[in-house]
Amino acid sequence: MKLTIGWLYPELMSTYGDRGNIFVLTKRCEWRKIKVDTKTIDFKTKSAEIETCDMIFGGGAQDRQQGILVNDLREKKGPVLKKMFDRGIPGLFVCGAPQLLGHYYMTGEGKKLEGLGIFDMVSKHFGKSKPRCIGNTIGKLPDGKTIVGFENHGGRTYLGKGVKPFAKIIKGCGNNGEDGTEGAVYKNCIATYSHGPFLPKNPHIADWLIAKALEIKYKKKIPLKPLDDTLEWQAHEAVLRRFT
Amino acid sequence: MRVMNLRTRLAIIFGKLVSILSKTFALGAGATWPGEIALRIQPRILRILSENVKHTILVAGTNGKTTTVKMIETILAHQGWMVTHNASGANLDNGIVSAFLKKMKSTYYIFEVDEATLPNILKDLTPEIIVLTNLFRDQLDRYGEVDTIAEKWLVALAGLDRQTTVIINADDPHLAFIGSKLAAKVKYFGLEDPSLFLPKMQHATDTIYCPNCGVRLTFAGVYFSHLGKWACGNCSFVPPKEDVTSHDFTSPIEGIYNIYNTLASALVAQTLGINNSDIRDALTHFTPAFGRMETIVVQGKRIKILLSKNPTGFNESLRTVAASADKGPILLVLNDRIPDGRDVSWIWDVDFEHYRNFRNYFVSGERALDMAVRLKYAEIHPTIIHAVTEVLSHVEKNEVLWILPTYSAMLDVRKQLIGRKIL
Repeated sequence: MKLTIGWLYPELMSTYGDRGNIFVLTKRCEWRKIKVDTKTIDFKTKSAEIETCDMIFGGGAQDRQQGILVNDLREKKGPVLKKMFDRGIPGLFVCGAPQLLGHYYMTGEGKKLEGLGIFDMVSKHFGKSKPRCIGNTIGKLPDGKTIVGFENHGGRTYLGKGVKPFAKIIKGCGNNGEDGTEGAVYKNCIATYSHGPFLPKNPHIADWLIAKALEIKYKKKIPLKPLDDTLEWQAHEAVLRRFT
Repeated sequence: MRVMNLRTRLAIIFGKLVSILSKTFALGAGATWPGEIALRIQPRILRILSENVKHTILVAGTNGKTTTVKMIETILAHQGWMVTHNASGANLDNGIVSAFLKKMKSTYYIFEVDEATLPNILKDLTPEIIVLTNLFRDQLDRYGEVDTIAEKWLVALAGLDRQTTVIINADDPHLAFIGSKLAAKVKYFGLEDPSLFLPKMQHATDTIYCPNCGVRLTFAGVYFSHLGKWACGNCSFVPPKEDVTSHDFTSPIEGIYNIYNTLASALVAQTLGINNSDIRDALTHFTPAFGRMETIVVQGKRIKILLSKNPTGFNESLRTVAASADKGPILLVLNDRIPDGRDVSWIWDVDFEHYRNFRNYFVSGERALDMAVRLKYAEIHPTIIHAVTEVLSHVEKNEVLWILPTYSAMLDVRKQLIGRKIL
């Protein structure tokens, strides 16, 4: 078995340890004898190449870097990504992704930046009237399991009817600090405000993404061989203990 | 000196009093509290203390500040000059004021300055020389993004005129860009040694797109991160001519980053009129600053401590350990207190994958589990320990224990091993 993971603009969308997610997905596949090919998606990448990917990952970008790539991402990559996500291709977007994937992002200066419009949500920066959300986060998934992360964002995101919240926020700000939601899920695609290496301490999410990718690619459910995740769960639980 | 008003005199008296009390009773707060008290009594104290000082040298940048300051101090003191510096690394306004209060009659004041604090310091103090070492991603939760810091620096430095010399690392494209925009005198240093080029670009880079036009820069070679021989194929922004290079001076200590620190210090010394042979002679007397390639001996075991607090610094520490003749176990100590950054995401930008061959890995600190998970995905299986002293029994004769700690972890390690955190 083999999976191709498409990594969006790794040089520009890698702010703080984002590649940890790629490392975790890759190793957890390799340890199960599933081959992984990581494909860089950047300015030169054609739609046909993007369509060979079985999973998509997007990290966080600094403002200047986001400015460099946003038009290319929206116009040349957006439509094909939307088609793939509608087909069930799983994706993980961390950090500022909720701001990029929604309909628009209103900056602190009141400028409206058009997003990819794949997720039914909008984001807004309230300037100095609302502080930046920085800190460790804990969320609860619909199945009762927890997720842990670290958020660092200035904008606030509000979900529409076309997406479900990824988790209920227990500790931290989450999407907006008002409605208790954290991140969003569209089909098999996850957006979270957790930034950087989200998967290392959330191996269940990594395996969920891998399982979905295999299911879509091979058109049947393929059970994943269990791995020894003692260390990952110890690190996960250490965060739960310290921050609840 | 103009007559000081009562408020200023009180600020100085109380600041000095705190300094003396702190020293007498070994409270360990002498590096910041005297300045903190003085600033609360007289917020403009830094301006008042510095206005009659002719020679003030500031050192700013992500990595290399403490070592560069100590190198400059070594060279100037070797000339027999009266020098004061913030040796303990207290580099916010209270640390700088504290250093001033401790010794008010020096001729030369050398201060390392925190990246985020620099613009505020420049409002009160016009330095004779300011050194910019490098800019890398560091403590995102505290400093924000590299570009944000660079923009604030450019605004703050643009106010300086030709009374000030700005000494800049030419190999860092973003700093060279800042240099190209200044009214102050600008001098550059850089490496010229292709034998030190990395085989390929590291992941932890920040400025690889042109700061002027936004197009991808090309690199004939990189020394580490985005420091190297860069060029923009699209616009008129070109690398500046260097005033000092690695042909001119050699570093007294291991590590490629220490070559940069040496060149920066030498260029400061040249600017102050010291000749090259005196600079070289002085550098042979250099001893590392606390926790920066510092060697200590505990229970007959040799220990080297390399502060490693961000991806670029950590990569260079690992490279230094690998290149060293000294072999032995390696202990990584990761904390997440405010001086370390609460966010430990950055460990995933460190290239542990290239260093699987070290004899033995140990991890410790508040975030030891995060580090252990990071290493697991690099196929390295460390032993988790709780006290540094647990490792000592694993150090063989003739071996060195390498300790790579974050900032607060470095202080904890020194406290455990030698009984004191800083000096």
